This record gives sequence, structure tokens and C-alpha cells, in this order.
Amino acid sequence: MEEVDRIIIHSLRSIGCDIEEDIYSLKQFSTELIVAAAVGCIRFINNDADLPATLPPGMSARFRMGASLANYVQEMGYRGGDLGYQTFLYSNEAEIRKIFMFLVEKLPKESAQTADEPLGSSVLLHRTIATELGAELSLPWVPPCLKQHGVRVRSKAPGWHREGASCMRRFHACHLSLPHSVASLTVKLPKEQRQYYSDHLPYVTGQTKCHKDTTPSVMETTAAEVSEQQEWENEWNHSGLASRLSQKDYKARKRSKIQKMISDRLQQDAKQREGGESGDALRDLQQVMASVSQHTRSGVKTKGSRFAHTEKLLYGKDEEKTMAQIGAAVAPKDTEEETQRKREEEVAGLRDELSQLTTRLEQLDIDMRKMAASRQQMDEAVGTAAQQAKDKEEAFHVKKRTLDLLPDAQNNITKLQAVVDSSGQRLLNLAAQWEKHRAPLIEQFRTLRQLSSQRESEAQKQLEEMKAFRAKMKEVADEARHKEELQKQLMSEYERMTKDVNRSAYTRKIMEIVANIKKQKHEIDKILIDTKSIQKEINSLSGKLDRTFTVTDELIFRDAKKDEGVKKAYRFLAALHENCELLTKTVEETGVIMREIRDLEDQIETESHKKVLANLEKITEDYQQMKKENAGLMAKIKGK
Amino acid sequence: MEVGTTVLENLSLAGDTAHIPDKCFDQLVKAACRGVLSEVDRNAIADDPAFKGVDKAALKAAHSGIVALLVEAAKHDVDADGISHILEECKFSPERIKGFNDIFTVQKPSMQILLGSIGNSRPHIRANHMERINEAVYLISLKTEVPGQDELQEVQFTCSLEQLQDLVGKLKDATKCLEKLAQT
Repeated sequence: MEEVDRIIIHSLRSIGCDIEEDIYSLKQFSTELIVAAAVGCIRFINNDADLPATLPPGMSARFRMGASLANYVQEMGYRGGDLGYQTFLYSNEAEIRKIFMFLVEKLPKESAQTADEPLGSSVLLHRTIATELGAELSLPWVPPCLKQHGVRVRSKAPGWHREGASCMRRFHACHLSLPHSVASLTVKLPKEQRQYYSDHLPYVTGQTKCHKDTTPSVMETTAAEVSEQQEWENEWNHSGLASRLSQKDYKARKRSKIQKMISDRLQQDAKQREGGESGDALRDLQQVMASVSQHTRSGVKTKGSRFAHTEKLLYGKDEEKTMAQIGAAVAPKDTEEETQRKREEEVAGLRDELSQLTTRLEQLDIDMRKMAASRQQMDEAVGTAAQQAKDKEEAFHVKKRTLDLLPDAQNNITKLQAVVDSSGQRLLNLAAQWEKHRAPLIEQFRTLRQLSSQRESEAQKQLEEMKAFRAKMKEVADEARHKEELQKQLMSEYERMTKDVNRSAYTRKIMEIVANIKKQKHEIDKILIDTKSIQKEINSLSGKLDRTFTVTDELIFRDAKKDEGVKKAYRFLAALHENCELLTKTVEETGVIMREIRDLEDQIETESHKKVLANLEKITEDYQQMKKENAGLMAKIKGK
Repeated sequence: MEVGTTVLENLSLAGDTAHIPDKCFDQLVKAACRGVLSEVDRNAIADDPAFKGVDKAALKAAHSGIVALLVEAAKHDVDADGISHILEECKFSPERIKGFNDIFTVQKPSMQILLGSIGNSRPHIRANHMERINEAVYLISLKTEVPGQDELQEVQFTCSLEQLQDLVGKLKDATKCLEKLAQT
């Protein structure tokens, strides 16, 4: 009960009831205190409860207040027996404890809700914003001239905050050039690049035109790199691994694909436009494309070199032409018409010449083509003739040898036969040998093929595994990150939580209580078992007694007919049995009475707790007071 | 907080005693802080005698890595533990991590002030005064702070009583809204 009282008193104090320090049990509560605490609780639970904070002096008013208190408590759903003004005014400890337990339970619990689940990061952010705003709102206004660059120094956590907009500026980032792989072992840095880094590249903080852009630029560069890496990782995981190419090959393939796509697009566009200059433009664009692909292939060093080169060539020609034209125009200083005429003549002459030349050129071209065709024919003819000559020569050789052999025909035939035989033998031999070589080779080929297919499938499997591992890796990393975040959140939550000493004390007490209850349960179980065993023993004993009695009874009864002494003994036995039974009954009755006595004692105890006498005295006093009040009122009425 | 591989690479270079000797390291971090914070010192590292004999390319790379880390750490409000984590990954020795953290914790507020000044906002009303010209018309002049300008600017307009009341009501609403936000 002490624990309960302490908890109740603590909660009452926490809602603002004025309870003195030396009160540590509900027994010590006076009527005024009880009423004040109950009113406090009810007001805390129900804001619009219309109750005075203290007990009024008038007896009737007190009565009314007690009644309304009881009313409120019942409205809240109290179901612990009958409730009335007497509960509060003439209190007894047990009832008051019940009511306060109910009220304390009903108190709105803010802390319990927040502790239930970890808050999301957005909630945390909101909370930080709220605290920051609260802190800023609580500070008095300060004229802008007293703040340096709009920064206001304060004593709370970050030590400063920004007020006003005078020193704000837009986010403006420029490109930063960062040295790459200066000390890397895998990538060899070209000498020129290293020299550029060490001699000409400015430091990061000095690269932007305006110093204020440095921080935004650094942030931008980092963010860009991080996002690029993430993007690449994503792509590599999705489609890169499936392509079974190395990263470099994959990138190269992708690049060529994109280039092809761009050029296709351009061509399509150009075809749609179908204009004179668009052809030129297309050619230019294609040159650009070619130069771009050239550039990407040849690396950073030759940046745009070919493009510049072709450009130079093109424009160089143009320049020459224009220069020539200008020179021609300047030389003869004749009149306008003459020059015009001359020019026209010249143009006509040149045109004629040009057409002549073209026709000649065409003719020559045709001639050349004809010649080439005839030459090809000739070549073919020569080739066929040579082939024929060779064939004929061979035929001649064979025939000549046959003719040579003819004179000694018999001999030669046998010789030839032998040669043919030996050749046949050799052929067979060779075939056998070939077979011999071929079999293991085929075997090897087969095994190798199998091996390769196995390897292929293994590679496939490994690829799958790799993919699975990658996914798992990512998952685990995500999980780890998530957990870390959660941990951070929980940490901040924990730090933010009021370090209530009572909480830990409560938990300790609860644990103790639970342990106590367990112990008690154990004891009760033990006692129950004891009782049961005793009951059993009693039962068995009484059974034994019964049986013994019956047997003895029978024995003696049988003999009693013959012997007088035994008759007497039988009578004694009956008397003994009866007496013993009486005895046991008496013992049982004593037990019952003892139990009753104990019950009654308990009842007396509880009744005495109820302070009946004191309450009775109080009631009579109050009754007297009321009588007096009534008498006074009557006198007043009569006086009127 | 995440940083790209270039930054990590350059940071590892900064943590490598072969490239940046121990005696230079603190100087390098300080120079990076100064370079970010003050316009005057933006190129101070270039002619600092402390870095004589250090390969300029490596120094520049290390410097860029440290600047990126400083800015990112200030942006994410990372504490010493988080920084140690990253630096450990870049194979920094414990002394260097400690040195870096010592310098950074001192400079963090200034860095954050610097980062906090990046942004855009409406002109900030500073002070106002009203003149009653007639029965119904009010001349209102508001002093405002405009981003990027040191002097206070002035906004003037006239309005009738209702309009003025409307304006005051709006301002009160805004204040209430802020207070409500601060309480949740």
C-alpha cells in the first residue's frame, strides 16, 4: 500500500497539488487535502469542470461540493461501489485510495505516447525547428546595427542565429577543377597534367571569380560527384552486370551507342529539312561528331585537335579563295561597266572552258573505265591460257613417262604394281596412324568443349551469385544505414527525454513487486500442496480406521455370542469408537470456529480502519453546526 | 554525409605522411579553413613558407580534399565522431584525426554562419513608423533589409484605416503562426 500511496502522492504533486513534504501516506490526508487533490485531478482531466479549489466553510456548501465531486467522478466512469458526498467529507482510507487510483489513471499521459515508438526524422526536424523558433522568439528585439552581419550571438546551444536578411546572398556555383589521381598507383598521370597541376592550377579556394562562390561551388562539386557515382552504381547493377562486359567496355559501348543515336537523329533531321545549306550543316555536324569520337578515343590530351584541324583546313581554303578573289578584283583599275563586262566575259570563257574540261574529263573517265574493263578481260584470258598450258604440260609429262615405260612393259608393269601396292599399304598405314592420332584428339576436343560449356555455365552461375551478393550488399548497407539513423534518432530522443528519477525508481519497484508476488505465489503453492497431502493422509487414516473397526467389530461380534467377557469388550469397543468420533468432530469444530474468529478479527480491523468513531463524531458535529445554521436562519426569518 | 571518390582520394593523400609531412598537416587544415572563411586569405596557402618542399600537385589535391570535407561536415553538422569515421576510412593516423577535429570544432560555427548566409529571402522588415496625415489616410514607411545590401532600404506606402487594420491583423496572424509552430 505504501508504494501505491507514494505513486499517487507523486502524481498529485506533479499536477500541481500542494501536498506537504512530510505526508507520505493517504492515511495522513485531511478532508481539505482530499477535496483539494480530487478537484485538482478533475480539473486536470476535464478543463471545464466548474469546481472551487478549496472546501467552503459553510456546511451546506460543503455538502453540495462533496455531492458534485462524487458526480464528476462517477461521470468519468468510476465503478467502485456507491459514491456520495460522504466519500469525500467523511473519508475512509481504502475508498479514497481507490478513487485516487482511478483518478491518477485517468490523468492524460503525454510521456507514455512519445515513448511508444521511435519518431520519424521529419518529426524530429519539426521539433528542432520548434525549439529553435521558441528560443528565437523568447529573445528581445535588437536593432540591426548591433548585429554583425545579421548574426546574433546567444547563450543557447549553437551560440548564434541569423536575424534579418542583410547579409544573405544567392547560391551561385561555378565549375571547380580538382586535381585527380595525383598519387594514385593504378592510373599513371601524364607528365603535362602533373605539371599543370603543380604550376598553373590555382588552389580550390582561389578558383572562383568571387570568393563568396567558393563554398557553394565546393558543395555543388561534391554533390555532383556523389550523385554521379550513385547513378553509375545503379546502372551498373541493373544493366551493366547483365551485359557481361568489363566496366570499360561497357562504357565504350554505351558511348558509341549514344553517338550513333545522335548522328542518326541529326541525319533524320537534316533529311526532313532538305535544304541547300542544311547539307553543309550536316557535314559540319558530322565532322564535329567524328572529331568528338576521335577525341574521346584519343584521350584528353588531344582535346578537339582534329576538329580544330579540319576546321582550319576548311576555313583555310575559304580564306585562300577569298584572298584570290580580292587580289583579282584589285588589279585592273578600270571603269565599273568595263570591269563588269570583262568579268562577265571572263566568267563565260571560264564556264566554256569548264564545260569543255568536264566533257573531256568525262570522256577520259569513260575511256579509262573501258580500258580497265578490257584489261581485266585480258588478264582473265591470260590467266586461263596459262592454266591451260600448265594442264597440257602435265598431261604431256605423264604421257611421256608412260611412253618411256612401254619398251620393257612386263617388267615395268610388275614394278608399277609393286609401287602401287606399297603406296596402298602406306595409305593404309597412314590411315591407321591418322586414326590413332585422331581418336585422342577428338576425345580431347570433346572434353575441352564440355569443359568450356561447364565454365560458361559456371561463369553464368558466378555472375548470378555476384548479382545476388551485390543486391545483398546493398541491402545490408541500406539496413545498416537505416539502423544507424534509427540509433541516432533514438539517441536524440533519449537525450531529449526528461531524465525522471522516478521512472527508474518505479521500474525497480515494479520489478521488486513482481518478484515478491512470485515468491508469494510460490509459498501459496507450497501451502496448498501441504494442505492437500494432509487431506490425503487424513482420508487414508480415516479409511484405515473404518476398516479396522469393521474387522474388529465383526471378530468380536462373532465371539460375543459365546463369551460374556467378549460381549463386554464389544460394548467397550462401541463406546470407544463413539467417543473417538466425538473427539474428532470437536477438533474439526474448533478449527472452524478458529477460522471464524480470524475472519471476524479481520473484519474488525477493516472496520476500525474506516474511522467510524471519528467520522461519527464529525458527523454529529457537522449536524450540530447545521442545526445551529438552521436555527440562525429561522431566527433571521422570524426577525423579518 | 557522403563525399565522392575524388574527395576521398584527395583526403587519403592528405593523410599520407609520404606526401604531406606531419609538421605541415595542421598548417594545411588551418590554411584550408582560412581560405574558405576569409576572402583575404583565399590564396594564403600559395606563398606559405611552411609548405616548402612539398609537391605542389599533391598539396593542391590534399587542400581540395580538406576543403570539401570541411564544407560538407559543416553543412551536415557532423560531430567529431562522424569525422573520425571518415578520416579513418582514408587511413589517417589518430594524431592527425585529433588535430583535424581540434581545428574544425573551433571553426565550425564560423563555417556554419558562412553557409547560413547562402540563401534568398524577401526584404526583412526592420522598423516602421506611422504618420497621421488626415483622419483616414496613413503614411507608412517600413525599413527593410534587402539581401546583399548593407544599408537599410525604405518602403513607403499609404493606406486607409481598414487596410492598416488588415495589415496589422495579417502580421498578428503571422506572429501567432510562428508561436504555434514553436510550441508543437
